[in-house]
Amino acid sequence: MISHGENSRPDDFENDSLKSRVAELTILCEVSRALQRTFNQTKALYTILVGVSAGPGLGFNRAFLLLVDEKERTLKGRMAVGPDSPEAASVIWAQLRGKHKSLGDLLSALDESAIRLDARVNEIAAQFNIPLSDPSHPLIRIMRSHEVARAQNGYFAPHGLAVDPQTSQLLGCDEFAVAPLFLAQRDLGLLIADNAIMRSPIANTNLRMLQIFAQEAGAAIWNTLLYQELVEHIRLQEEANAELRINQERLIQAERLSTMGKMAALLAHEIRTPLVSIGGFARRLLRATPPDDSRREEMEIIVSEVARLEYLVREVLGFSRISQPVRETCDVNALVESVVTHMQESIRQNQVRTQLDLSPGLRPASMDESQMRQAIMNLVTNALDAMPSGGTLSLSTAADGDYLEIGVHDTGAGIIKEHYSKLFTPFFTTKSSGTGLGLVMVSQVVDHHRGSLRFDSRPGKGTSFHIRLPFGQDSAETPASLSPPGKREEVDP
Amino acid sequence: MKCILIVEDDPNLRRLYQIELEAEGYSIMIAENGRQALERVAEKMPDVVVMDIRMPEMDGLNAMVEILQQHHKVPVILNTAYSCYMDDFLAWASEGYIIKSSDLAPLKAKIREVLAARESSRPAG
Repeated sequence: MISHGENSRPDDFENDSLKSRVAELTILCEVSRALQRTFNQTKALYTILVGVSAGPGLGFNRAFLLLVDEKERTLKGRMAVGPDSPEAASVIWAQLRGKHKSLGDLLSALDESAIRLDARVNEIAAQFNIPLSDPSHPLIRIMRSHEVARAQNGYFAPHGLAVDPQTSQLLGCDEFAVAPLFLAQRDLGLLIADNAIMRSPIANTNLRMLQIFAQEAGAAIWNTLLYQELVEHIRLQEEANAELRINQERLIQAERLSTMGKMAALLAHEIRTPLVSIGGFARRLLRATPPDDSRREEMEIIVSEVARLEYLVREVLGFSRISQPVRETCDVNALVESVVTHMQESIRQNQVRTQLDLSPGLRPASMDESQMRQAIMNLVTNALDAMPSGGTLSLSTAADGDYLEIGVHDTGAGIIKEHYSKLFTPFFTTKSSGTGLGLVMVSQVVDHHRGSLRFDSRPGKGTSFHIRLPFGQDSAETPASLSPPGKREEVDP
Repeated sequence: MKCILIVEDDPNLRRLYQIELEAEGYSIMIAENGRQALERVAEKMPDVVVMDIRMPEMDGLNAMVEILQQHHKVPVILNTAYSCYMDDFLAWASEGYIIKSSDLAPLKAKIREVLAARESSRPAG
């Protein structure tokens, strides 16, 4: 403590003391103002450390910030400020004084990207990592005491705790000040300051100032923590909102599809009966007309146009009928082969070469075979339509862990980018005779099987569609002949 | 001559089926709905019933059930614009399920098939 000695000149002393007090308060005020302006933690921490070690004010040589890491439950060195040597110290402060009028000026000009941390002291800071579960550690005890301490002669005063050798070894000095950072009952960390460079003792006034300063710093750190938390909350909220929006759009789309499907089905059924009449009677007339009659051609037009309409009706009704899959165990290679056999006629007409790349020994999958057959047929139909003047149609199967992949590839014109987003929109088609339901049906079937559908297309090179499906539970079952006797079902003779 | 009962509420289709099936050499009875179908069957037993499903008064499925309860030997072919009834377990009692089409070949083929099956299952003599 500073005492008024009898021989001292009270006026001068009062003057000096007042001057230094004003300087200290100015620094405190400037740092406090700078802290209020920032929510950036790095900037706030740096401001605190600069305030502690700024030449004209508190005047500590070095300052270290240790913060509580809630996740790791440790007190961790986060940042430090201080020169390596007396020479470096004077150079740094001289430079700063040259550039900035005051500390406040320096701090307000501070930009996170411009912060250059001194390597040596930050190496030291990084080595502080004290578990909070160690209540006997002097630094933890001081933090919890919320009272500033000075290490001197191997003891922390006023706590009376022995200085742990590790801390003094890390700092490389025996005398240093420790100020707890806290807000209300919450422990935030510690501010450690020393004069290890100039080797000067720590004045009592500086210790008191450090305590006041630490309170200010605690509030500022608390603010940045709250701010970070807020930012994180907002980010999570935004993510949740975005997800909600996507789901909502999906729901609307599904609802739209369902309504469309119902309307289309209603219309299709109504159309079907008159079509049977028109087409049926036209066929009769055609059969009754002699081969050389010129009206035959006109009747044939009616018959074939009605057939086309009936085909469209079938497609629309088929689409609106896609229900939940009725799963059965299915040999996918055989299914793909049967689709190719079934469509042999169209393949031949388009002069398309087929290539099968089926994974040998592919295990059976659990799926609605008729739905999946229709889906593959739709993809093959599209592939053939993309190759009106020949090409190669390849079908592939492959296993990828628990997933099965069915690929349909063509060497046709490819899909132009502008059409990508519309591909799965009902009634979108680029064909003269398509319904625009084929791919919608495929994607619905794949969806119902909890699979995914993707495509890649290169203009002029061709298009590949990939159906990816889980093999399903059934395929994992042990065949009856291999199951242990106890598990086999008893069958009445 | 085999006799076919056509149950159909659409007059144009009734006419089409009658002409087409008569041309195949069958004698034809006509009913406009399920109720009439029961009356016709009571008058004379057909060899095959071609039954529409959606009809006023009594629909084809109920009419079929009634007919089968009384005369469980008569084969019924369902002939409809709807595929949704395929999943109806009542439809399982039919001998065939034809989706209406301007091409009557599938219907004619099914009638021939049903008649042939009936012929072969009948005890000799």
